[in-house]
Amino acid sequence: MQNGYAGKFLQVDLTGGACSSFTIQEERLKKFIGGSSLAASLYLERFNLDADPLSAENPLMLMNGPLVGSGFPGSSRFAMAAKSPQTGIWGEAACGGNFGPELKRTGYDGIVITGKSPHPVILSITNNSAEISSAAHCWGKDIYETTDILKAPDKNIKVLAIGPAGENLVIFSAIANDKAHFIGRTGLGAVMGSKNLKAITARGNQTRGKANEEKYKEIFKAAIAEIKNSAFAESLHLMGSDAAMDLGMMTGDVPIKNWTVGEDFELSTKLSGPTLTETYLTKAHACSNCPVACKRVVAVKDGPFRTEEGPGPEYETCCTFGTMIMNSDLAAVIKANELCNRYGMDTISAGATIAVAMELYEKGIISLEAADHLDLAWGNMEAVMALLGKIARREGFGDILARGSVSAATHFGPGALDSVAHVKGLDLPMHDPRGFHGMGLAYMMSNRGACHLQHAAMGMEQGMVSWPQLFEMKEDYDGKTSQGKAQLVFDSENYGILGNSLSLCHYLLYCLKPETVRDAFNAITGFNFSFKDLLACGARDWTLKRGINNLLGITVKDDVLPKKILTVLTEGAAEGSVPDMQLLRDEYYAIRGLTTEGIVSKEKLLELGLAELKEKLYP
Amino acid sequence: MATHKAFTQEWLDAWKQKIAGSQEYKEIAKEWEGSVGLICNADPSKNIPNPVYLFTDYWHGDVRDFLVCDETKVQTAKFIMTGDYARWKQVAKKELDATKALMQGKLKLKGDLTYVVRNVKTINKVIDLLTEVQTVWPDDV
Repeated sequence: MQNGYAGKFLQVDLTGGACSSFTIQEERLKKFIGGSSLAASLYLERFNLDADPLSAENPLMLMNGPLVGSGFPGSSRFAMAAKSPQTGIWGEAACGGNFGPELKRTGYDGIVITGKSPHPVILSITNNSAEISSAAHCWGKDIYETTDILKAPDKNIKVLAIGPAGENLVIFSAIANDKAHFIGRTGLGAVMGSKNLKAITARGNQTRGKANEEKYKEIFKAAIAEIKNSAFAESLHLMGSDAAMDLGMMTGDVPIKNWTVGEDFELSTKLSGPTLTETYLTKAHACSNCPVACKRVVAVKDGPFRTEEGPGPEYETCCTFGTMIMNSDLAAVIKANELCNRYGMDTISAGATIAVAMELYEKGIISLEAADHLDLAWGNMEAVMALLGKIARREGFGDILARGSVSAATHFGPGALDSVAHVKGLDLPMHDPRGFHGMGLAYMMSNRGACHLQHAAMGMEQGMVSWPQLFEMKEDYDGKTSQGKAQLVFDSENYGILGNSLSLCHYLLYCLKPETVRDAFNAITGFNFSFKDLLACGARDWTLKRGINNLLGITVKDDVLPKKILTVLTEGAAEGSVPDMQLLRDEYYAIRGLTTEGIVSKEKLLELGLAELKEKLYP
Repeated sequence: MATHKAFTQEWLDAWKQKIAGSQEYKEIAKEWEGSVGLICNADPSKNIPNPVYLFTDYWHGDVRDFLVCDETKVQTAKFIMTGDYARWKQVAKKELDATKALMQGKLKLKGDLTYVVRNVKTINKVIDLLTEVQTVWPDDV
């Protein structure tokens, strides 16, 4: 096929040690496009939703979108999905890097992994074939070591690996692509570990044509011009995602001291993108086919947190291991980031869980003895480094935290749960909904739990983008207003999810005109989608995953913000402001076609062509 | 309170006075050094027949030259911000945040973006003080 798709998917049964392939009809591709959307449609059709997330029955899926491998800017992303061990509902994460394009070059659009190997293995994928081999030489090694071992025969091999955290089923463990790009959220590293699958490698040399090569060349040129002309892209190139820190502190976006403080400019100045650039940055790094190069490569040459040159922290990590735990030492953030990378842990949930532990320690709910004699005073980074190792190895107090913030707080008794900021079991990303109420609703309604990447609400509400050609939107939103934000979140979800299905980085989605994205999709696939068609795919994805979550028990009771976010701050830009949860939810339910119980209505399911889901939700 | 026609020397002087009189600005801007050139593109339909060039100079909490100037002078500024009249008016009235306008491409910046991001608080304060100047806009006349 010359339509952006490789044309087949790899099926791997780890129990039996067998690999095969299957195809998907074009009609289905047009409905779900790719990425986690396609994974969700397969999950609903083929698998037992009641399976324990860490059982052999729970499938682990990896999916590309049609833009992957096309060379279009920002199109290197791929998604992984499974029932999440962290939340017990639909789980997914995506990352950039180079694995997605390489997988496409082997001739596969995606991988569906089932079963459990009797011993640790590696899945190696080459042109149109795959084999399973022993991982005895890698098991127990960290992600950097594993990646180096697997790339030793050929540096062009692309690696996806878990670290000790994934092996030990830490529920917020991650999967790394070539050390620097992470499938971080919802604990999919633990799903991989539960299958005794240490790593997946890919090496291929197939190329794919585009449906309309000439048209594509024109669009590609336009895309590059738009990126060159974008101050947003420039800021990412110069300062990485941490460019958001300075502005975020001004607007009330940055969480501080486990969501209890509203403003601290001294902290943000020491942890910001410009500071990182001026101190520890050695070079910028790009995902495959990305002219922005927002990834940071850093080194700390001396001091207690000396770190060899390697992948640097994102904005989220500068918060979780910085502002959230009252640490102003950027070198310590870099070290914590490296440890999480090596162990294979989501830096958001790892840092957020430690922030909860520090708050409970301050309140006397966790004693020095209970914390294995680690002094969990705010900002004690020596203790943080030790704790990260204990979590990954599940030692003592670390074993309690390895179960996640909700489970850990529950362990420490009634009232401790108020210290956890989560939605549906997933720790909040580092954007405070008290400054931006739309983000609060987006957290409430995201299908994988609190998430900042299942929508483009941040870009729209914070005024980083203007897309009047897609839907009605204001030039400038008041962040601290709940009225009318449901429509913003609905629209932003449909377009943001579409970006995920295409496997397009959200940063590029923000830089590019929607016309350019649409035209690139059509030129590559040969489809002839309008904006309306594309946004309908976004809406279908959201509804499909919501329906899956409904089948897994999610209702209105779960669409709530945590007490932390419903507590007013007494200083900063978000002072005195909390989202009006009821108003936001009521307006959103009406727009999204949910019943008052939070179940997808029959009418909405039929409107979006989700008859199979309707049969399961309304038997 | 006196009113001033936008983009005139009197208007710039009134703005400069507001900044110079702000203790809060002095504190926020103590790290800032360098001039900012502002270019408003011509828009005859809004009574802006020719581009407008403004030169504003700031130094560690103090303000120096604030001048209506020509294209040559404006190009000597450390930072140059360019935009259409409608955008400048929105920014000056705080209907559009200057940083958002930059990110959305509604204003263009020439200069070190990292420095600007680090000092975004200073920029916002300067614009806050501009809103205190009673302004008559060319298309309001």
